[in-house]
Amino acid sequence: MNLAISALDYIEAIKDGEFTVEEFVSETFDQIKKIDGKLHAYLSLNEKVLDQAKELDKKRKAKEKIGSCIGMPIAIKDNICVKDTKTTCASKMLEKYTAPFDATVIARLRKQDALFIGKTNLDEFAMGTTTEFSAYGPSKNPWNQEYVPGGSSGGSAVAVSALESVVSLGSDTGGSVRNPASFCSIVGLKPTYGLVSRYGLISYANSIEQIGPMARTVKDTAFLLNIISGIDTNDNTTIDNHDEDYLKDIDSGIDGKKIGVISEMVGKGTDKEVSSATKKALVKFEDLGAKCEEISIDMVDYSVASYYTITSTEAGSNLARYDNIRYGFDFDLEGYEFNSYIAKARRNFGQEVTRRLIIGGFVPSAGHAGKYFLKALKVKSRLTKEINAAFKKVDFLVAPTVPILPFKFGEKLDDPVAMFLIDFNTVTANLTGKPAISVPFEISNGLPIGIQIIADSMQEKSLFQAAYALESTTNLPKVSL
Amino acid sequence: MVSKEEIEHIAKLMRIELDDHTVHIDRVQKMIEYFDILDKAGTESEELIVNEQSLENLREDKYEPYNDKLIDKLKHYKEKFIRAPKMV
Repeated sequence: MNLAISALDYIEAIKDGEFTVEEFVSETFDQIKKIDGKLHAYLSLNEKVLDQAKELDKKRKAKEKIGSCIGMPIAIKDNICVKDTKTTCASKMLEKYTAPFDATVIARLRKQDALFIGKTNLDEFAMGTTTEFSAYGPSKNPWNQEYVPGGSSGGSAVAVSALESVVSLGSDTGGSVRNPASFCSIVGLKPTYGLVSRYGLISYANSIEQIGPMARTVKDTAFLLNIISGIDTNDNTTIDNHDEDYLKDIDSGIDGKKIGVISEMVGKGTDKEVSSATKKALVKFEDLGAKCEEISIDMVDYSVASYYTITSTEAGSNLARYDNIRYGFDFDLEGYEFNSYIAKARRNFGQEVTRRLIIGGFVPSAGHAGKYFLKALKVKSRLTKEINAAFKKVDFLVAPTVPILPFKFGEKLDDPVAMFLIDFNTVTANLTGKPAISVPFEISNGLPIGIQIIADSMQEKSLFQAAYALESTTNLPKVSL
Repeated sequence: MVSKEEIEHIAKLMRIELDDHTVHIDRVQKMIEYFDILDKAGTESEELIVNEQSLENLREDKYEPYNDKLIDKLKHYKEKFIRAPKMV
């Protein structure tokens, strides 16, 4: 059996009776047992999944109605709630938290008979770009285990890349789906803000984050978006997409389309291998009939500072609920005064979360808000205007997903500004609410490089067409496991 | 430059105890220092984009019973009440 099969091919194979759901899920579980000790993609596994697979096979035999996923295994980032399943956010604070409800995306996948194979590793509360800030230890990059897999949805990327799941879900606040997708050579989409419900996604910076699909092919990514997108009464920011079919006409090509290459994202600070891959991608786009031109977006230079100011501020509020009264409880109430009790409980947060909470208290506080938070919001406004103006001239904006190649563990851990700059090319889509996808494009000396395509709001359909066209020009080596 | 005392003061207000004091403060200071770049953006005159939602667009405000007894998930509670540490 070929575990490297795409989700769409899996569904066809099941329909054709090539194998049963149980056989496929069982083999996936064997793969996890074989390699996850090394790669650490998962924080917990769904022990009932084989029974659920058998149940689906029975239903199929009895010709009962079955959802469109027919038992397709999917891995879920551990900051998305799956009912009666541990949801830790890779934090000691939520070590014992079991979600009492399904996130909307989970309910929708469940209805289509997807099987939740396990919960994947992340940087604690999704704050990080390497998974090194997980309270349960980092995930390893399957392409080279000495290298980080990217983050924060690192576990979700590793699971798909290392054939430990067919597809996965991540969440993207500043690049957390696209960055690990790029580092692990898979596809990852950050949808338009509001296209996918955030109900049941544990909030970090709710004004800009989105749940995003991750898969080995662009088509699978579109298939997943078909299922999880659309309006939800439980998330008032969701937009009605009129049940758009993102798979339909995905092979329409990009002949005659205009592509803007963001100058600020291909300049200084870009590794030469990444630079050269980007140039090659532009040649491919031209071969496909698109016209490429450089386009300058001034505010990109300030986007990372704006992003961290805004997200830390929102984290300061969103994480205030972890007070050991509603979540936590590893010690008794007796002998504590209210504030000291909460302060002691908050020691359960790891170092990066602690730092961002302090920043999140500092930058919007009286006396500092004018210098930091308000300026950050103004940069966000101006950046949005600049990007909107760019989309009057071009159909897509392109840049490398990450300016640098995957790097070794510990390499950037002690340099917060170097860590910031990893997000340089991804935060713009979050701050402006635009959809962006990372497509695997090259393997340079054994290390993956992804190309990012950004489209205007709600233009996912044409974004997938561009991504599919670029993907079709590549023939990448398979990861050796 | 932001002083360490200012950072410590905010941490205290955020009810955060700093275990490894200097490491955290130094690093937070470096992170905030990077934000000085915002001064150069020249966006002082920029107006903020505000998303307005009219009340009609909000979900109907009605009581929906939840079947599971959620309070059972807490360790410290009595009947319908959550128990918290004393305030004074």
